[in-house]
Amino acid sequence: MSKLEEVKTQVIAGKTKLVPGLVQEALDGGSSPNEILQSMIDGMKVVGDRFSAGEIFVPEMLIAAKAMKKGVEVLEPHLAGEAAASLGTCIIGTVKGDLHDIGKNLVSLMIGSTGFTMVDLGVDVPSSRFIDAIKENENVKLVACSGLLTTTMQAMRETVKTLKNSGLTGFKVIVGGAPITPGFAAEIGADAYAPDAGAAAEKAKEIVAAI
Amino acid sequence: MLTKRQNLLETIRGGNPDRFVNQYEAFVCQDTIFGMILGDPVQAASTYPVPGGQATVNAWGVTIAWPEGMPGPFPVHDDKHKVLKDITKWEKVVKAPKLDYPQKEWDKFIPGVKAIDRNEVFAIAFIAPGVFEQLHYLMGMDDCLINFYEEPEAMKELIEYISDWEVGYAKLLCKNFHPDAVFHHDDWGSHNSSFISPQMFEEFILPAYKKIYGYYKTHGVELIVHHSDSYAANLVPFMIEMGIDIWQGCVTTNNVPELVKKYGGKISFMGDMDNGVLDREDWSREVVAREVRRACETNGKFYYIPCLTMGGPGSTYPGVYEAVSEEIDKMSKEMF
Repeated sequence: MSKLEEVKTQVIAGKTKLVPGLVQEALDGGSSPNEILQSMIDGMKVVGDRFSAGEIFVPEMLIAAKAMKKGVEVLEPHLAGEAAASLGTCIIGTVKGDLHDIGKNLVSLMIGSTGFTMVDLGVDVPSSRFIDAIKENENVKLVACSGLLTTTMQAMRETVKTLKNSGLTGFKVIVGGAPITPGFAAEIGADAYAPDAGAAAEKAKEIVAAI
Repeated sequence: MLTKRQNLLETIRGGNPDRFVNQYEAFVCQDTIFGMILGDPVQAASTYPVPGGQATVNAWGVTIAWPEGMPGPFPVHDDKHKVLKDITKWEKVVKAPKLDYPQKEWDKFIPGVKAIDRNEVFAIAFIAPGVFEQLHYLMGMDDCLINFYEEPEAMKELIEYISDWEVGYAKLLCKNFHPDAVFHHDDWGSHNSSFISPQMFEEFILPAYKKIYGYYKTHGVELIVHHSDSYAANLVPFMIEMGIDIWQGCVTTNNVPELVKKYGGKISFMGDMDNGVLDREDWSREVVAREVRRACETNGKFYYIPCLTMGGPGSTYPGVYEAVSEEIDKMSKEMF
């Protein structure tokens, strides 16, 4: 197994103590930082797919994301010298009136693992805060809104409407959460819907590529 | 006509029910927020937020908020409020609420429990949060789930500490109130999956509940009703093993009719009507009638109780719970 394959495998397995050393060995062996980063991104893609398929559960996804984070910490000083392959900035938050954060955190981890720079606004986020974040951050390509309650579906609608009517451009809006359906997402004007964190990462790449 | 209690027992035993059990009807036994036994000295010593009011700190030290418009309270887990930031230090940080109250404190609540007509309904004690919820109330969900991997021994110690406290509380409830049933909250999953794998659940959570529910079952409690409004079909064998009689809150993603067929007789299912579909601002009688009909027809008369998945009688939007009950009555007339 090549060192890059080993990095990928251990990210999938969530080996937080092993991955940093393997990343260093890959660097020492001549692999480029972007190649190593891509191997970790590929690993997280496998994790996302397995989660979507119900083969693994939230702890396995969290531990894999943590392993990747440890690996990225080793890579970061080296990545600065290369053109980083960022897909843009993603603003993410749970809409106003809703304090659920697990789903939002998972989506943030998975979208972040594909190469987006994540700006997490937390929970109970008013639509105005999403707008401010788009203005405050560079290269915003994606806004991700989460909502777990039927009571906050209207807040989701209002947030998407505010984003779309803001006059700001260059970004897409993706929504998700237990009560959200593809039909509701389309009805409120969102650009995409994802049923889970793994699917959100794939959808994010897809819609941003079309900008 | 059978009493509500008799009808429920006939339903879950595969006997001769004379109608559908209508949602929580057999559990509403007191004039409390959930209609169940809620008052006792241990609970009275804790504080609970009111909807839209100030966040409060409960007896475990967890800050709980209930923002306006939310259907329920929520633990606060920012850096300032998280109780347990390092699981390996749990013994120094986590302090369970005291249980040793003078008998006269319990005596205040006994007349209300004695007044329950136990022929008509169950004297049922409401208990929340459960063991898994207590873990993530203390440390936050992300830390909790990661700690199952990174600090399994410390997690097992803390789970034992929490479950021992729960058994201590169970002893007092059984001694003073002699409940016929317990309604125990502990959410074990999201809409689409259990939070943890069945293997992890078996290792960490099952032993705790075998102890807790085992105590109740050997001390006069006839019925264990467990609430988890989530997917948890993959955990049903463990629910049976730990002694759950009714899983309340089973959402439609579980394929409840299949569970009824597969496990009916060992456990019963109460739910299969998602609040996300029925209990909405734009709710309609038409959707309620359609969903109630689907649930009653596909699940049948035995081992199933038609009910919203919410963890207590009532609904977020006024009128929904009552509309569901009326439609269930219609289905009873049609199917029985």
